[in-house]
Amino acid sequence: MRNSSWRAMLRSPLVVIVLVVLVWFIATFLVLPNANLLISTFFPDGKLSFRALEKLISSERALKSLWHSFALAATLAVTVNVVGIFIVLVTDYFKIRGSRVLWLGYATTLIYGGIVLAAGYNFIYGKNGFITNAALNVFPDIDPNWFSGYFAVVVVMTLATTTNHMLFLGSSLAKIDYQTIEAARNMGASTWRILWRIVLPALRPMIFAVTVLTFLTGLGALTAPLVLGGTDFQTIAPMILTFSKSSGSRDLAALLAIILGLATIVLLAMMNRVEKSGTYFSVAKVATPLQKQPIRNPLANVLVHVAAYVLFVVYALPVLLIVLFSFLESTAISTGTITWDSFTLANYATVFGTPSVLKPFVVSVVYSALASLIVVLGMLFVARVFQKHRNPVTTLLEYLLHIPWILPTILIALALVMTFDRPNPLIGGQVLTGTTVLLLVAYVIVKIPFTLRLLKAAFASVPESLEDAARILGAGPLFTLRTVLVPLVLPTAAAITALNFNSLLDDYDTAVFLYHPLYEPLGLAIRASTEGENNLDAMSITFVYTVLLMIIMGFTMWLVYGRGGARGRRGVRRGTRRAGAGAGPGAAAAPVAVPVPAAAVATVSPAPTPAPRA
Amino acid sequence: MHKRTFKTASVATIILSTMVLASCASADAGSGEGQGGGDAGGTLIVYTNSNGDGRGEWVTAQAKEAGLDIEIVGLGGADLANRIVAEKNNPVGDVVFGLNNMFFETLKDEEAVTAYEPAWAAEVDQESGDPEDGAFWPLVEQAIVTVYDTNKVPAADAPTEVADLWKDAAYDGRYEVNTALGQATPQLVLAGLLAPYLDEDGDLGVSDKGWKQVEDYYAHGSPAEEGTDLYARMARGDVDFGVLPSSGITARDAEYGTVTGVISPADGVPYVTEQIAVIAGTPREAAAEEFIDWFGSAETQGAFAAEFASYPVNEKARGQALPEVVELIESLPKQDIDFALTRENIGAWVEKTELEYLP
Repeated sequence: MRNSSWRAMLRSPLVVIVLVVLVWFIATFLVLPNANLLISTFFPDGKLSFRALEKLISSERALKSLWHSFALAATLAVTVNVVGIFIVLVTDYFKIRGSRVLWLGYATTLIYGGIVLAAGYNFIYGKNGFITNAALNVFPDIDPNWFSGYFAVVVVMTLATTTNHMLFLGSSLAKIDYQTIEAARNMGASTWRILWRIVLPALRPMIFAVTVLTFLTGLGALTAPLVLGGTDFQTIAPMILTFSKSSGSRDLAALLAIILGLATIVLLAMMNRVEKSGTYFSVAKVATPLQKQPIRNPLANVLVHVAAYVLFVVYALPVLLIVLFSFLESTAISTGTITWDSFTLANYATVFGTPSVLKPFVVSVVYSALASLIVVLGMLFVARVFQKHRNPVTTLLEYLLHIPWILPTILIALALVMTFDRPNPLIGGQVLTGTTVLLLVAYVIVKIPFTLRLLKAAFASVPESLEDAARILGAGPLFTLRTVLVPLVLPTAAAITALNFNSLLDDYDTAVFLYHPLYEPLGLAIRASTEGENNLDAMSITFVYTVLLMIIMGFTMWLVYGRGGARGRRGVRRGTRRAGAGAGPGAAAAPVAVPVPAAAVATVSPAPTPAPRA
Repeated sequence: MHKRTFKTASVATIILSTMVLASCASADAGSGEGQGGGDAGGTLIVYTNSNGDGRGEWVTAQAKEAGLDIEIVGLGGADLANRIVAEKNNPVGDVVFGLNNMFFETLKDEEAVTAYEPAWAAEVDQESGDPEDGAFWPLVEQAIVTVYDTNKVPAADAPTEVADLWKDAAYDGRYEVNTALGQATPQLVLAGLLAPYLDEDGDLGVSDKGWKQVEDYYAHGSPAEEGTDLYARMARGDVDFGVLPSSGITARDAEYGTVTGVISPADGVPYVTEQIAVIAGTPREAAAEEFIDWFGSAETQGAFAAEFASYPVNEKARGQALPEVVELIESLPKQDIDFALTRENIGAWVEKTELEYLP
């Protein structure tokens, strides 16, 4: 397929520069620190220790938790697809009344997650939740604990992780060749037959890709099982977290994380194979925009409408509740006795009354923006080189860039602190520990795998003919990259930037060991104001911060997706623009079909929002 | 249009942020060079896990009045100890306080703190700190107690020994157990459970009987709920008993209208002592020592105790502590726990418990 000969690769100065910088970066920031830490972990006295493996195998609890994590991942791979495809179809494919409002409801998962999301569902359906209480008044025989364990975790995580479907599947759908659909209809195919035989098959690569993503999220599940799993359904992530904080048990943490990481890599390798055999880009060459399909069967139409709106309510309730709860006294929330007197502005007063409350917001916004832009810009070059030149070296480098998926964030952060606490020749004799730079480096590192997977996929879908045309017209490689290729992947790049930005905003695990004392990031500030044995308003204050974060994240998403017109017209706009320069109008994704091979949050990414317990 | 806005925005953000970071970095470079060369000036960086509930702001303000310019860096106990150890070759913090003796034993073992005899050394019980080397010094004492609401469980009906909770079927599932063993309090509970059963021949230095206690303790308890306070669960009737550091009682009784009762076993309850020390290798050692002299003094500790319901180790400061706090602490015998030994083993104990006994 693509040119993979060495000489061709090394002939381009651009590629050589990218490779040199990349090799330096990987060696300095990914391999050296983590290898140091892992060697001291697994070879405590200079020889390999199987202690961790023996401990793990003899622990029934660890094996059970590990099994739960895999079971959860497998279940989510199915359930998230069912719900995710459904919401994409009702918002983008079928003619549904009020689909824009529905979209907003389903999009709420873009702006919150972690413990707040789990707690939100628990307040509604949990043992003391108001739906449970209401149901108990009518049917006193129901088990008040009905919403816990495997079932509850699956339900909550299914709803929480449809984000990727909305972003990436939604954009693939918009690129389906509408003329095929019209042709099928003219030949008398029913709505369902078209859906089954034309639409879903065309979406298959993307469905497979987001399935991998979902699987990985399931493996790393932390807060939902903690809040809702009860004693019967605990996953492995909390154990990894505990072990990685204790120096004696770090080998176990690393081993467990590596097991999850290996599953990631196996899936990744599978995706790479599928991508190589790639024969599935059914990109519309003609700009006939997708038109929304009516559901002709009246009964089915009613049923789909009802299901869509029920789902909308389920999605929107926790968010409304969190906003509401941020105005409530914490005892009212925790004991479940809400009266008119419980409403208060005190939580907001507490947050805004803290001296220099604004500073952590500024610090985090700067760090997150900088890290997400740097990683996207860097990976634009890297993904391009990987895509164009496939040989053992680039394959090796690509796998090395996935190290952040294999190790727990806490270990990566610790490894950085301990490696760069003395002058290091690889970085010009600088000491990074205790400076503001180290946290930025860490943020860039942890976002590399996700960014690389998505960008590489975006490049994969760019027709080679465009590039050839540019070359024939005499454009240099940098010029071609800048004016032809980058604009084609820019919408994807913008979406990734926004997602990375949002997820870094309230990060705690990376920052805790790395932040400069004078520049406290938001995650730390939230934790500080919700921690403490006498701090009984922890949950309310978490809610206040969540509401503030929702505002910032909502604004980010609006910058990327929302501006310049109604969503309902997106398909039309995208279609027409694509015929032009190919630069999508800031709309949801790449102008050409983007198969996302594998992308996910870090294998173990503990609660983005802090757990309020000391 | 979008493309261009995005590009412009990106470029602008990068330039702006680089400027911000560059200015930070150059500011660091100033102090950074100092770190190697022994710059005694600049803000004193104070590491603590005891900054919650407004303590951090209070200490900063009081220190300022005393002419000390400090910046509080607050992190949870385990995270803070890990950070200090990780940074020991190039310390960022200058002084650390609030961690319990177990964590300080670790810091001392890693040579991350350095010995200093404070001006108030004679006013505290040396035994509560590090009597051998004087590497860290005690500030505040806390008991780790099992509590209940006497409005719901009359004191007469409460068990007299903590072990009754898991030996008597009547309490099955009625007491909260905290399973987050990475945190300090659950670790101390574990240490307290195992302390009477130390046995060199047993697994990890603990007899089988001791491990049986741990197994039963977790098996019959109700695991803590992430994000829900013990007292909220008691108010809802989920549980009747739970473990709390003694300093948390006053605020909860006020908030939930409870009247807290405490189980006082004959062998005593685990006590922890929060300590203070200079971080080894700091260029601002003199300032750090000055801070320690000020913060541990009877005057400051007394004011701190009055403000935050703590029980100071400094005997001269105890006069200012809240009477109910003094009464409670003095009514609870101290359990005999060998903290040096516990510190050596707690990691392995936590690991075993996590792997084998947690629900």
